Amino acid sequence: MKINKLLTKLFILSALFLASCSDDDTPQVPKGDYENGILISGEGSGAGTGSISFISNDLTTTENLIYKKVNSTELGIYLQSIAFDNERAFVVVDNANSVTVVDRYTFEEKSTITTGLNGPRYMAVVGDKGYVTNWGSTSDETDDFIAIVDLNTYDVDGTIAVGNGPERIIENNGKLYVSHKGAFGTNNIISVIDLSDNSVETITVGYKPDEIFVNGKGELVVLCGGNESWTGNETIASIVNINMSTNTEVSSLTFANGEHPSLMVLDNGILYYEVEGKVFSISEDATALSSTSIVESQGYLYGLAVKNDRIYLLDANFKDLSELNIYDLSTKNIIDTKAIALGASKIYFN
Amino acid sequence: MRKILIISIFYIISFNSMAQNDSLVNRLKEIVIQADKKLKKYSVGYKVTTLSDSVLVRNTESFTSLLRFNSPLYLREYGSGGTSSASFRGTSSSNTAVIWNGININSINNGQTGFNALTVSLFDAIDIRSGGGSLEYGSGAVGGTIHLNDYLQFTDTKQIKNQFVASLGSFETYRGLYKLKFSNSKLAINSGVSYNRSENNYKFLNTNFKNTNGAYENFGFNISAAYSLTEFSKLKFYSANYLGERFFSGELPNPLMANDKYQDFSHRNLLIYTHKKSRLSHEAKLAFLIQEYRYFEDKASSMFNFGKSKRYLANYDVSYSFPKLKASITSHSEYESAFGKTDQILERNRKQFSQSFIYNQDVNSSVSFDAKIRKDFNSDYDVPFTYALGVKVKPIKNLFFRANGSKNFRVPTYNDLFWPGQGNLDLIPETALQGEFGIGYKNNQFVIDIGIFYINANDKIVWTPVGDPDRSGVWVPINLSEVNNKGLEMSLSFNKTFSERTVKFNINYSYTIATDKTTDKQLIFVPKHLFNSNLGYTYKRFSFFYQQLFTGKVYTTESNSSDFVMPHYFVGNMGMDYRLLSSEKKQLTIGFKVNNVFNKYYEVLARRPMPNRNLNFNINYKF
Repeated sequence: MKINKLLTKLFILSALFLASCSDDDTPQVPKGDYENGILISGEGSGAGTGSISFISNDLTTTENLIYKKVNSTELGIYLQSIAFDNERAFVVVDNANSVTVVDRYTFEEKSTITTGLNGPRYMAVVGDKGYVTNWGSTSDETDDFIAIVDLNTYDVDGTIAVGNGPERIIENNGKLYVSHKGAFGTNNIISVIDLSDNSVETITVGYKPDEIFVNGKGELVVLCGGNESWTGNETIASIVNINMSTNTEVSSLTFANGEHPSLMVLDNGILYYEVEGKVFSISEDATALSSTSIVESQGYLYGLAVKNDRIYLLDANFKDLSELNIYDLSTKNIIDTKAIALGASKIYFN
Repeated sequence: MRKILIISIFYIISFNSMAQNDSLVNRLKEIVIQADKKLKKYSVGYKVTTLSDSVLVRNTESFTSLLRFNSPLYLREYGSGGTSSASFRGTSSSNTAVIWNGININSINNGQTGFNALTVSLFDAIDIRSGGGSLEYGSGAVGGTIHLNDYLQFTDTKQIKNQFVASLGSFETYRGLYKLKFSNSKLAINSGVSYNRSENNYKFLNTNFKNTNGAYENFGFNISAAYSLTEFSKLKFYSANYLGERFFSGELPNPLMANDKYQDFSHRNLLIYTHKKSRLSHEAKLAFLIQEYRYFEDKASSMFNFGKSKRYLANYDVSYSFPKLKASITSHSEYESAFGKTDQILERNRKQFSQSFIYNQDVNSSVSFDAKIRKDFNSDYDVPFTYALGVKVKPIKNLFFRANGSKNFRVPTYNDLFWPGQGNLDLIPETALQGEFGIGYKNNQFVIDIGIFYINANDKIVWTPVGDPDRSGVWVPINLSEVNNKGLEMSLSFNKTFSERTVKFNINYSYTIATDKTTDKQLIFVPKHLFNSNLGYTYKRFSFFYQQLFTGKVYTTESNSSDFVMPHYFVGNMGMDYRLLSSEKKQLTIGFKVNNVFNKYYEVLARRPMPNRNLNFNINYKF
């Protein structure tokens, strides 16, 4: 009897326990091998394909060429950027005129978009549409466009004509903001596309606008690298803040003559930017640039990201594996170094 | 008679021809006039492989595939018919010189020759010489030289020979070739036209794509003539002209992106006067060469990038022989003025004068050697002395030893120096020291040659994004690495006739270890193993052949990362011919060839699949 009671008790307890367990577990069913980690995209070069590396958040696992391992094919060159929605990753490869759609956690290929793109660069996802910036033919500065991709059928079902060399694209409040770095030449505009009617307005900024973010005050922050001296028409670089309701410049921080920053990220109200391999940080409200760098790259600094208490620097190598250096944001000490994708250029958190 | 015998022996022993048929030996009995006599004369101790016209006609697909299946060179090709370059013994492709009738025709812009921008079926033979001792063709040929030769021939009676070759192949490939040779006792004329076109739209195996942008079309016209002015002097003229248009095929995953087009033109003209009386011979040459390419990034657009060059060459050779010593000394003086420009580089003029001396001697019946020294005076550079020595020893019948060593320089190309924003005016010439030792055996049926080589190259010019601290991220050329190449080159051929059957077999194999001294890793795009073989079997009027190629794995990164490699591949081709007519005057052969007979997927460069199984039918009529 006693044993029987005990067994019943145990049964009830275990049932409860199991029930509660499975309840807890539901959100933790692994979505794929490439969850909870960092994705690094590498552009590739003549030495090897554009590729994606995965590093687990605890930095114990590094896996290169994850797309090739899962799908047994290569992505091609030059892998420019990756966009995401909740389940999918959209890998934009510019020379291949393709966007490869994969499950963002397993990296299994769902589709590859091969028509309707011409020199694709970056993509923004808005609902079930993707907006891809395209340079068009390199010999024509007037055929640049945004391709509109139906994310259910993976077809390009429309285009929006824009000025030369559209680069980064972000969505905010029903509008797309596109920086025009100018493709192989140079340009100095931001396109603002109203998604209700796809009408395009432009804002003039400094030359070679690249990274764009929306800051805590609801302003658009633009890094304008400026024309380099070899162009024969050198201009000053700046970080420009734009009021997004009036589309006018609010403030701007200018760099010294000859300085041409090429990377900028915004994290937690702080802007991090790169000048000649050194990383500087300022508050997003700052009224002056910083004169002391926080970390300095040992190689060719080509990618930058900040998350939680770490800062990530990519030393790109186009002839070999690149290096990812991870620093502690507070101490600025190096935590780890990883050999990752060839021509590594972008860092994403998955 | 005795003299002819000596000459024949000289050819056979010093010039271990790996020719795939006997035409070379036959040709030696006639009075053959070559624009370039230096190659054979001054290749003591070097390995020279000859591809005869029958081999050229059998491998008409491209110069690239001809070399890939018949020589020890490694060819990088951007898809079938695309940009192609060749390298010897793990050296770079600008260390391979292409010599047309004695004139180096590498581009002055990038220092290379495009091996798919040249029709070679019009030439009478191609000689491939491994090793760096060919100073008389420019000091930069560290790896070796490829010689395109026209043979002119005087005959006692008037002769007219015609040859017509046509083929029809898969992917809408059409090729046609017509050669006319006229000769009498004072005049010899060779002329030829060729036309090739192909849609080249082969299916990419295991995909839904085709090679959609791979079509090509080209036209070639060559003419050469020799005229006997007096008993002692001759006048010769050579002209080769080429016009081609190619589309550059796309790569996976989206071959549809390919949209570019490439056109190239070349006109090469050479006039030679020779005078030879008793011990003294003179040769004066004048050459004028034009080369131009146009690259259309968008084939629909009229905008293009271009490169153009014009070269004027004058050279004078004088040679004196010492019959008692069986020796000769030659002075070779050459002046060149080259004008090069691209859409990115304004026209530049480089002038060069070079002086070399060559001494060769048959010390006794078993030992011969040649020694060369060359000094260049270049308007852009100071190029020090270069030298070479080749020795051949034949201690007993059929067996020979050969050895050679040389020092070479390669001056930077126009692109290296002047490319806007990237060129580097501080570059110095690359230097290479090398040596080779070979052993061989030859009898009537069997020839084998095994050589081991060593090359030490310094100040190699390498393009890198971290070359200039002031221009981080900008690809610039710098004098960077020290590279050691060592390895083995082997060739073997066997030829036996049993009554109505003939078997021919030959093999090229090379093993190359090429390491960068700082990393101690294998250089990128240098396969350790390269192998090709040709097997031929003839029975009465039928002949059958099979070609097999093996190209070993290559690394594409300096660290030899296993993530980035081009895997090894095997490819086999086979074919059959039937001789309908085989009289002295008329020979008519029909045949077919199956390329990639096992329908294997392979890539020479990443994501660019090479053709699947394909067929061609051909007809070859000589009358």
